[in-house]
Amino acid sequence: MKTILLLEDLPEIRAWLKTLVMQVFPDGQISEAARVHDALELVSAIKFDLALCDLGLPDGSGVSVVEKLRETQSECQSVVVTIHDDDEHLFPALQAGAFGYILKEQPRELIAEQLQRMNQGEPPLSPSIARRVIAYFAAQSKPAQPDLMPHVSLTERESEVLLRVAKGFTLPEIGVQLGLSRHTIADYVKQIYRKLNVSSRAEAALEAQRLGLFRRQ
Amino acid sequence: MASNRLLDRLLGLALAQALAALLWLGLAAAPAHAQPMAFADALAAEDTGSGRFPGESAARVVTLPDDWAQTRPRLNTPVWYRLRFDAVGAEAQPGPLALYVEQACANVEVQLNGQQLHAVGSMHDPISLDCRRPLLVALPVALLQERGNTIDLRLAGYALQQVTSHQRAGGIAAPVIGSYAQLHARQARDTLLAVTLPTVASTLLMLTGIVILVMARARRRDSHLHYFSALAIGWALVTARLWWHDLPMPNFDSELLLACLPPLVALAAVQFLLNFAGWRSRPIEVALYAQCVAVPLSLLLAGPARMHATASSWYALLVVQVLAAMAFYLWSTRRARRRDFWAMSLVLLVVAAMVLLELAAQRQLVPRPWQWLPQALMPLAFIAVGLHLVQQHGSALRSAEDGRLALETRIREAGAEMERNYAEIAEQRVEQVTRQERKRIAADLHDDLGAKLLTIVHTSESERISTLAREALEEMRLSVRGLTGKPVKLIDALGDWRAEVVGRLSQTGVEGEWSAPSEDLPQTLSARAYVQTTRILREAVNNIIKHSGASRCTIRCLIDSGDFQLAIQDNGKGIPLELDGRLDRGHGMASMKHRAKQLHGQCLVESGPGYGTVIRLTIPLERHTTRA
Repeated sequence: MKTILLLEDLPEIRAWLKTLVMQVFPDGQISEAARVHDALELVSAIKFDLALCDLGLPDGSGVSVVEKLRETQSECQSVVVTIHDDDEHLFPALQAGAFGYILKEQPRELIAEQLQRMNQGEPPLSPSIARRVIAYFAAQSKPAQPDLMPHVSLTERESEVLLRVAKGFTLPEIGVQLGLSRHTIADYVKQIYRKLNVSSRAEAALEAQRLGLFRRQ
Repeated sequence: MASNRLLDRLLGLALAQALAALLWLGLAAAPAHAQPMAFADALAAEDTGSGRFPGESAARVVTLPDDWAQTRPRLNTPVWYRLRFDAVGAEAQPGPLALYVEQACANVEVQLNGQQLHAVGSMHDPISLDCRRPLLVALPVALLQERGNTIDLRLAGYALQQVTSHQRAGGIAAPVIGSYAQLHARQARDTLLAVTLPTVASTLLMLTGIVILVMARARRRDSHLHYFSALAIGWALVTARLWWHDLPMPNFDSELLLACLPPLVALAAVQFLLNFAGWRSRPIEVALYAQCVAVPLSLLLAGPARMHATASSWYALLVVQVLAAMAFYLWSTRRARRRDFWAMSLVLLVVAAMVLLELAAQRQLVPRPWQWLPQALMPLAFIAVGLHLVQQHGSALRSAEDGRLALETRIREAGAEMERNYAEIAEQRVEQVTRQERKRIAADLHDDLGAKLLTIVHTSESERISTLAREALEEMRLSVRGLTGKPVKLIDALGDWRAEVVGRLSQTGVEGEWSAPSEDLPQTLSARAYVQTTRILREAVNNIIKHSGASRCTIRCLIDSGDFQLAIQDNGKGIPLELDGRLDRGHGMASMKHRAKQLHGQCLVESGPGYGTVIRLTIPLERHTTRA
């Protein structure tokens, strides 16, 4: 049995998503929320395996729910379900620990397939997100305080995969190019997501510490 | 600044030349003419009031020149002098004879053989004071006898004790008889030296003083200018008796009045020097003013009999004060390394020399021609200082003007800078507001329109409506991207396009082939160009997927001489022609062409039934690389 959190404020879409999720995970137990507040309450009460979170909600951003899940239920897989496809909206959610994103207007079959893939550890990665990740790690590789900053860096292969995604190659194409299986490529992408989150959290902690130091002075 | 130094030098040069000319004149005057006859002695008798020589019995012989202070101290009754001479050979002379008296103080009358030849001015107190003017009296041939001519001179004057200056004490130079022409030349020269030059110089000094006074009124801060004008005018007044022979008051009063001036001049001189050196002292100022009162008061108390002694002591004291002030001035300006130090020290040296010479002349310690020198040269030295002050004032004005101009320029620059900054800030503000507004619109579009379209996408029963809504949503997203648009790197745009096109083609089972430059491209696309090109590409791929029935699609991107070129070719059935021979509008060709035209590019469609379709898009890069 799979416990699933569904955070979406539009009732029609929530209903539609619920049917879709039930199709993909027939034995899933779905908890619905229309607001960030409700979702956070659910998170503190129930242990989830999967969370589908909208970003723009009436009382805040779904990113805070993703964050909370990352902190309290590290096993839970958070997926952003959104109407925004641009990296400006998606990147913070991915940094907060989201494992992937789904664009809401896509046809049912496509979303179902993506959910399946994510469930199997194959998160999607668009060129613009890939570019953001590359830029993020490039900035991380030369931190101002190298001793304080826990060093999280990408392997050569991970960087290679990211570069190719940024140039518009699909994951299967990259697999062919690098002579790697589809699963190996997916693992790389998963690893990239994980490192992005770890590095972001380290950065946030460091930032908090720095602010704390400032406050003491 | 160079012109200042030049002016200083010119002033110095002029002063030196004046000095040289005066020396030459003075020295040239020294050797007496051989031909005219000077009287070495004369018969002298006290005046009895008869208007004639009193009689030879009462007379005694005096040597000439006769200085009353030496020969008859403390007496001030007029004296008759009788000169005897023979006019033998007078006919042999080239012209008429004349009597020349270089100096007779205070006033003199002349009689030849009992006939009065010269009588000008008053012979009683106040006696006309005409000590300086050389007297030349023509001796009419008709009155001359061959032998035994007598010339009687009645001299009225004051005892030395009654005057404050030796130059106004009674006395007479040795009279000379000779050719009128020769003596006239001599008189002219002596007059020039003793009277004209000093008078002109002191008049000029007066003018200089007035000019500087006017100038000083405009600059109250510069107290040294006030003092200098007082000094100049005061000195000019001191020398006024050169030409002012008759004062309408008794001699004692006029001498007292005149004695008021030197302490004032000394005050002005000392204060000028101290202030010009940038030093002020209240006690000294008070003492100097007190001195101005003390001098005439002490003379008044001393009375007419001790006038000269009292005044002389005072004058010596004043000279010491002025010399001390000069020394102080030179010491302090040398320490401050003022640029005018050498010019000023030269002038002050001349003044000091003249003051000392004057002091010596008062005590009859220098030969006569040298006595006139201070009176002519001192005003010139003052004038030189005055001109230096005027020039300094002028350069101060100029530098003030320069400063004002510089300030004005700076204000103008600062104003321009402020305007620029303001414009920049305003521009930034407009940009910021625009960006915020765009963000708001974008958010609204997503939240309202996006949510509604999404609802339609997923709730519509009709597949067609749901597809339309999905497309509208995509369009909206692109529009929002154009709204918030930052320029997109061409290489990134190519990545996005490839992912979308290849992804969609592979989803629909069409074999896609994409070729594009993969090296790092420096070009960027404006958000608008990116969005429009995305739409064109999307439309083209839609057509291929929906209508062409193609199994294969090739997309080629290349950059050629500043143009971005995109060719989309499929192997489908081509676009059917409309009845009028044009391509089917339902396939979005018109909107693709329109979009291309908006980007100043073009979109060509080649198609024929059975031959597939090629869409060639060309966009000039330059126009879209820089514009955001």
